[in-house]
Parts: sequence; structure tokens; C-alpha cells
Amino acid sequence: MSFARLGAAMCLAASLAAPAFAQSQIDDPECVAPANPGGGFDLTCRVAQTGLDPHVDAPIQVNFMPGGIGAVAYNLFNTTRTDDGSAIVAFSTGSLLNIVTGKYGAFTEKDVRWVATAGADFGAVVVRADSEYQTLAELMTDFSADPASVVVGAGGSVGSQDWMKGALLLREAGASPMDMRYVAFDGGGDAIAALLGGSIEVYTGDVGEMVPHMESGQMRLLAVMSPERLEAPFADIPTAIEEGFDVEWTIMRGFYMGGDVSDADYQKWVDAFEAAYATEAFAQVQKERGLLPLNMAGEELQTSVEQRVQTLREIATEAGLIQ
Amino acid sequence: MVDRIFAGVLLIVTLAYTVIAFTAIRAPFQYDPLGPESWPQILSVVAILCLLFILWKPDASELGVSKQTWFRLAATVILLGAYAELYEPLGFILSTLLFGTALCAMLGGSILKSLIFGFATSVAGFLLCVTLLGLNLPEGELVEYLHKQASGLEEGVS
Amino acid sequence: MDAVLTGLATGFSVALDPFNLFLVLAGCFAGTLIGALPGLGPINGVAILLPIAYGLGFGPESALILLAGIYYGAEYGGRISSILLNVPGDASAVMTTLDGNPMARNGEAGRALSLSAIASFVGGTFAVVLLSLFAPTLATFAVTFSPADYVALMVFAFASLASLVGKNVVKTLLGATIGLMLATIGIDANTGVPRYTFGIPDILAGIDFLIVVVGLFGMAELLTLVEQQVSGKLKSLPLDNSFVRMADLAKCKWTIVRSSIIGFFIGVLPGTGASVASAVAYGTEKRIADDGSTFGTGNPRGLAAPESANNAAAGGAMVPMLTLGIPGSGTTAILLGALLMFNIQPGPMLFSQNPEVAWGLIASMYIGNVALLIINLPLVGIFARMLTIPQHYLTPLIAILAFIGIYTIVGNPFDLLLITLLGIFGWFLRKMDFSLAPVILGFVLGSLFENNLRRALSISGGDWTILVADYKSIVLYALSVLVVLAPIWLARRARRMAAGPVSSSKGI
Repeated sequence: MSFARLGAAMCLAASLAAPAFAQSQIDDPECVAPANPGGGFDLTCRVAQTGLDPHVDAPIQVNFMPGGIGAVAYNLFNTTRTDDGSAIVAFSTGSLLNIVTGKYGAFTEKDVRWVATAGADFGAVVVRADSEYQTLAELMTDFSADPASVVVGAGGSVGSQDWMKGALLLREAGASPMDMRYVAFDGGGDAIAALLGGSIEVYTGDVGEMVPHMESGQMRLLAVMSPERLEAPFADIPTAIEEGFDVEWTIMRGFYMGGDVSDADYQKWVDAFEAAYATEAFAQVQKERGLLPLNMAGEELQTSVEQRVQTLREIATEAGLIQ
Repeated sequence: MVDRIFAGVLLIVTLAYTVIAFTAIRAPFQYDPLGPESWPQILSVVAILCLLFILWKPDASELGVSKQTWFRLAATVILLGAYAELYEPLGFILSTLLFGTALCAMLGGSILKSLIFGFATSVAGFLLCVTLLGLNLPEGELVEYLHKQASGLEEGVS
Repeated sequence: MDAVLTGLATGFSVALDPFNLFLVLAGCFAGTLIGALPGLGPINGVAILLPIAYGLGFGPESALILLAGIYYGAEYGGRISSILLNVPGDASAVMTTLDGNPMARNGEAGRALSLSAIASFVGGTFAVVLLSLFAPTLATFAVTFSPADYVALMVFAFASLASLVGKNVVKTLLGATIGLMLATIGIDANTGVPRYTFGIPDILAGIDFLIVVVGLFGMAELLTLVEQQVSGKLKSLPLDNSFVRMADLAKCKWTIVRSSIIGFFIGVLPGTGASVASAVAYGTEKRIADDGSTFGTGNPRGLAAPESANNAAAGGAMVPMLTLGIPGSGTTAILLGALLMFNIQPGPMLFSQNPEVAWGLIASMYIGNVALLIINLPLVGIFARMLTIPQHYLTPLIAILAFIGIYTIVGNPFDLLLITLLGIFGWFLRKMDFSLAPVILGFVLGSLFENNLRRALSISGGDWTILVADYKSIVLYALSVLVVLAPIWLARRARRMAAGPVSSSKGI
């Protein structure tokens, strides 16, 4: 099979650094980003490319396979490349959601092998700096009283991750997600523009994309949807859980392989990731790419993914997205 | 006449589009009053009205394409289809060599000149795009197989 | 003002470094080559060369300057195939084919290429000047555009495009509807429900715009060439050494100014880009030009309008990116990614935290525009020579270039079949006297129209009055009425003047 070889030049530069410790031997290792260059999956693969470089004997190529929000890649690795031991494919919590809602066809989370994570990002509840909402509690009171009184917007359609964050907040406030007044924009950038312009009042975005906006003071983060407080520049922002609302949204970014990959090939990748997790350099790579640490590989990730998919399935059923 | 045939074919496709718009497209729930189905429904009604008008008052009477031209056009389409299908299996160089030579010869180039053209575009195109601009073009399964064999041998030696 | 001047001084001191100058020129050259491939426009050119620029290990200013060069080169390269081969290189070059290609067919390829280079230069430079002077103010205004205002903008776009109506009104309407219908394929952006995908994963996210353009225009053109050649209607053109004349520039100067303004403001709005800008500029210009009826047959003004508009829009799209960190177009999204790769956070703080990068980029846009002229004007003759290639070489070459362009975007062979199928459909449409431009514009504007309408109604909770609730919407609706009625009124007045004082009181 032949796919993009765009990363080749980059790898060439990177591979010149001579490694000094044990490396996994993988033939022509490749990371498939199931999207166009420049997006989140590209970023995920770049983490593997730079972060794993000292731990794999050959440079990892990043190849792009856009189409159907990742469905093209998921189908391919479930039909023809099921035993390809040299390729990993990037995924995110959004991909898991697509599996749950049936956008990836008949294939389920049990049909591929989950290899390792690249890092994480978390949901954030954002309002404009001059908004009447100072705390999450004030917003939640309004949600409980009259869900339709607040216009919520984000960069994804109904059933997407962005929508899920809003739906979870409403559920926690004791209202039905169907009563939310939700506006779907074409990506986070358009949604932020709408928030700044006053078309929407609340934006359910991600922590990572808020970094450049933290200092400008145009927007205010009411809460982050992480299990624990984050580091600077978010150290002062409370988590939703702290505020007394049991809402958490972790955007996991990681990699999967075809379902029929041999244990030996699978283990090579897992070993490489585990070796990388132990180093300071990998943490630095995560930070540079705007990701927060969330390191899981092999069996641990497999269990975690299955749990997450189960939770997502429950939420989606409750919200009426699937029967 | 051709106008009517064309409009008729389009009408069948549009009717299928319409049926799907009115029956199959449904959201579990939606926040806007239109939903995913209203827009296609409006479009299908407009399209059907336009097509019915064309069926009623056609203006183009014939295509003015001779039998020989039809034959050549069909051959071009087949060549394009084959080129698309063979692009990855044969790789850029080989598929372009075949396609370029065949189409050039069909359009009146001599066999030798066509071959030179096919060879030049495939090799020059590959070198320019892959080597100079760093674009990705398929090498072909044959080349990849040989690569694998070669690296397999290397591994055996080391 | 002082801040702008000091900023520009910083920027130029970075951009005029001999090494950086060399990078701009190299970028422009590589970009022109990439842009000339049908399908590969600035977005993909920048995206593809970004990892290479990163891998070469330059500093952030140099890498961005290289990318800006590629960007401008690719913007211009797209025109070459539009004008010479009637195959648009990217989305924003569709309108360029309408008058550019007829000029080339009339033996004025060199004139068309050089005029478009100058129109692009003026549009691009105009945008950068406005960008350096008013960026923050403009960005604040642009974000107040609500979904309801976008609906009004789309109505205005369709109204200005009413001028594209050919001899058969029904066919034009049907063509636009077909484009709108093609745009409904894929996952619905509001509810996430797949429409007309039939379980094929390749079209789950919709059909890529470039595939529609290269298929309907490029491949249909190829089939037309084969048909004409077989039936002996086609001759290779003699070499033309034409070049843009002062008279052309004098004639087009107001067109270029008007189109640059339209293009820049549409470009500043996040969510609309160069393709909408060039279409609106062309439509408006055709409506108000005294020789509007010759648009589409090789009128230089019909070429200058979309060319200056799309370059101005490309500059305008930088405004929300640099000042707010919001990408206004596909290409700026990639440039945003490029900044992130160098650990620079774009956004409101960019100008204060990394002035050398922000102003260096702006300065390199000035230089990129100049470099484009310097590199491309001498090449006009060489590119024009392409038309003297015998048809039995040129025709296969178009197919090969289109395949390279489409395949290298995403590496999916399914797309190659798709452009072939769309090409057959496009050929039939052309044979039936359909104009292809409305199909493409319906496709571009369709999802913007539908999604913003539904967004507006989601915001209002189903209350339709939101569509006329803001002054910006009302102004746009008024302009729409004006742009439709003005030519009718102008024509009547002209007729009345010619016929003398006939007692007609039916006028407006």
C-alpha cells in the first residue's frame, strides 16, 4: 500500500541523532493521521514521530488519510490492513464517540487493538469577559431554571464531543439535553468568533485552544472539565467537580492498530511508548504540542478505552442519540 | 430530444433524492426548526420544477456528436477509469507511461512519439513532484514488494 | 500610527535579510509550480511544504517567510491553469476561467497572464496595507457578524450572481440547484446525521470542493478537447507574445479598486473566503460595468475583478488570525498551525509578545507580492508557450496533471474515479448549454447558506424575525435588491434616453 510520504523529509532530519539505548525494531514504522494535514490527528502523529524517535530504530513517517471524520481509516484497518504491524493510527475521544453512534459502520471498539496514548486535553466552559456569569454555579442555576434561556455554541454537530460537554452540564443541572439551545459551528475558530461577537453566550471548548486567549482577557473560563486542577496558566481555574458538579470531559488522544496484528508487533509499539513515557523529553514534546500528560499503553489503555466507550454509550442512549 | 432524455435521466435521480429527503433523513432530535431534511426537500422541489419545465420546453435538439466521436470519447473515459484503477497498484510511473502513451496515440501521435511522451511525462513528473517538490505519488505495489524483499535480505544478513 | 511604522520597520529589517529574501523568491517559485497543478492550491501547497520548512531547521521568521512566498506563488500559480487550460487550480480561481480562458483562446494568453499578475499584486498589496493599518478594528467588527448576517450575505452573493444567468434562465437555476444538492452530501453539520452517503466512508465528510472543481471543470474540459479534436474543430494556437497594455490597466483600474475592497472585507469575515469574494466581485462588476454583456467572452475587466478580489481576500483572512487567533480560511488555519509548530501562540498577544514574527510576516507579505510580480512577469512568455503544445500531448498532460493534483492532496484513489465521473457529468452539462459556474457556486455557497440559516434559527429558538433583527442584515438585503434592480433601471434609463422623452411612467 502506498500513502502519503510527507513526513519523510522531517524524519530524515530527526533520524540523524544517534540513539544510545534499547529501541524497538519496527520495519518502516508509520503513523496514519486520518485527516488533512494541520488538524488534531496530525498533531497526535507528530507526538509519536518526535516523542518516539529515540525509542524506535527507524524514523516514523506521518501519513495522511482523510475522509469521513476518520471512518475511511477505521474501515481500512478493519478490512485490509488488519495485520499491519508497522502502522499505528491516531484517534481521539471523538473517534470513540463516532464508534458509539455508528458513524464508523458496523465495526466496534473491540475490532482494533488500542496501543497507547499521546496525551490529553480537557473540556472548558468559556464565556465572554463581560458576561454576567462569574461562576459555573450561576450558569448551572440558569440551566436548571430555564435551559432555553442560555445560548450555547461550539464547533461540532449534535452528538459531537463539543455537544456532549454541553449535554453533560444540562444533565447535571437536572434538565434534558434536548432542551438546550445549542448552535453548531464549523470548528472551534468560528465558535470563538461567535462568542466574541455575542451570537452565543457560552462556548464549550477545549483547554488547549484557550492557551493563546488566556492573557488577552477577552474571555473567561468558568471551569475546566478535568478530574483535577491543571497547571499554569490554568492553575486558578476551578474544575467543575470542585464547584460541586460531577461533570468531566477528557479528550484522550492516542493510537490504535488493526485487530489481527501479532502480539509481538503490538508489544514492540507498547514497549516503545512505555520507554518514552519514562523520559522528560516526551513530556516536553507533549507540552510543545499543547497536550497534557495522560500516559497509558497496552492492556491498561485497552481497558480504559472499553470503559470510556461504555460510558459514552450510556450517555448517548440517555440523550436519545442511539437506541 | 436529447434535452428531454438528459432531463429525464436527471429527473429519475432527482426523484430518488426527493424520496430520501422526505422519508429517510431524520435526526434523533434537533435544535433548529428546519432539521437536516428541510433544505434537501426544498432543493428537490426546485430541481423537479426546473426539470419538468425543460421536459415541457426543451431547447437543445441534438448533441452534434458523430458516431466516431462517441467511440473516441468512450475510449477516453475507459482509459481514465483504468488509469484511476491502476494508479496505486502499478504506481505513478508505470500507469502514467501506459495512459500517456495510449491517449497520445489515440489522439493522433505516432507510436514512437507517443511512447517518448509517455516515458518523459511519467519519469519527469515523478522526479519533479516527488524529488523536487516532496509530493506523494504512489510507487506501486511491485516497487514496494521489491523494497520489502531487499530490506528482508538485509535483515537476514545482519 | 507610530506603532504601525515601528512595527513595519522591525518587520522589514527581518524580511530584507538577504537569506530571507532568497527564501521568499524560492518559495514563490516552488509555490507557482505547485499552484499550477490543478487541485493543488495555496492550502495544500502550504500544508505539504510545511513539514519540509520545519525540517530544514530555520528560525520561525524565516520559515514563515518561506511559507508566505509559497502561499503567494501558489495563489498565482492557480491562475495559470485557469487561464491557459480552463482548468481552475483551486477554489478561488473558478471565476478566473470565465474571462481568462476566452482571452487565451483569442490569442492573448500573455496579456491575460500579465494582467492577472498585476491585478493580483494590487489586490494583495491593498489588503496588506489595510491589514497593517486597521487590523484590530476590523477584527472586532468582523466577529459581530452573526449567523443571521451571514444568511443576508449569502442572499447578497446569490443576488450579485444573478448576473451570471445565461441565455436559459431555467438551466442556470437548475445548475445552481444541482450544486446545492451536491453540497448536501455528507454529515449534516448541525445534527450530525449523514445525508446521501449510502454508507460509503469516503464521502461521509462530504465531497471535497477541489474534487468538484477539477472534475466538473478540468475533466469535462479534457473530454471537450478530445471531442473537438476528433471532429477536427481544434487547432493549436500560434505563439502569442501579447502583454498587458497601459490601456488595459487604465480601463481596469476602478474594477481592481472596487474588487479589492469587496474581496478584502469578505476575506476578513471568518467563514467566508476567497472563492466567495471572487464570485461576488465578478458578479457585481458584471452588473455595473457598461460593457457587462461582454463578460465571459474575454473582457479584461472580467479577469481583473476576481483576480484582485481573491488576493485581497487572502490578505483579509489574515486579520482575524493575527489579531484574534481565529483562522478565517483554510490557508490561515495552516499558517496558524505553523506558528504553533514554532511554539508561537497566535492571538491577541502576538503583536506584543512576538513583534518580529507578526511584523516579519506582514513585511514578507509586502515582499511576497513584489516577488510574485518579479518572478512571474518574465515567465509569462514561457507559460503562454504551453498553448503551442500539440493537442495530442496537451490533452493527456491535463489528465496527468489533474490526477497528480487530486491524488497528492489526500492519497485516495477513490477521488480519481470521482473526478472522472464528475467530468462525464460536466461534459454532458456543457453539451446541454448549462453554464458550469452556477453549479460550482451553488456548491460553495450551499452549505454556508443552509448552515448559517439553521444556526440563526437555533439561536432564536425558531423565531424567523432574527433574520432581519440587525442593521447589518438589513443593509445587505437592501444591497441585494439594489444589485438586482440597478441594471434594469440603468437599461431603462439608457433606452429612454435613446428613444427620447417617451411617456413611460412604469419605471421605478
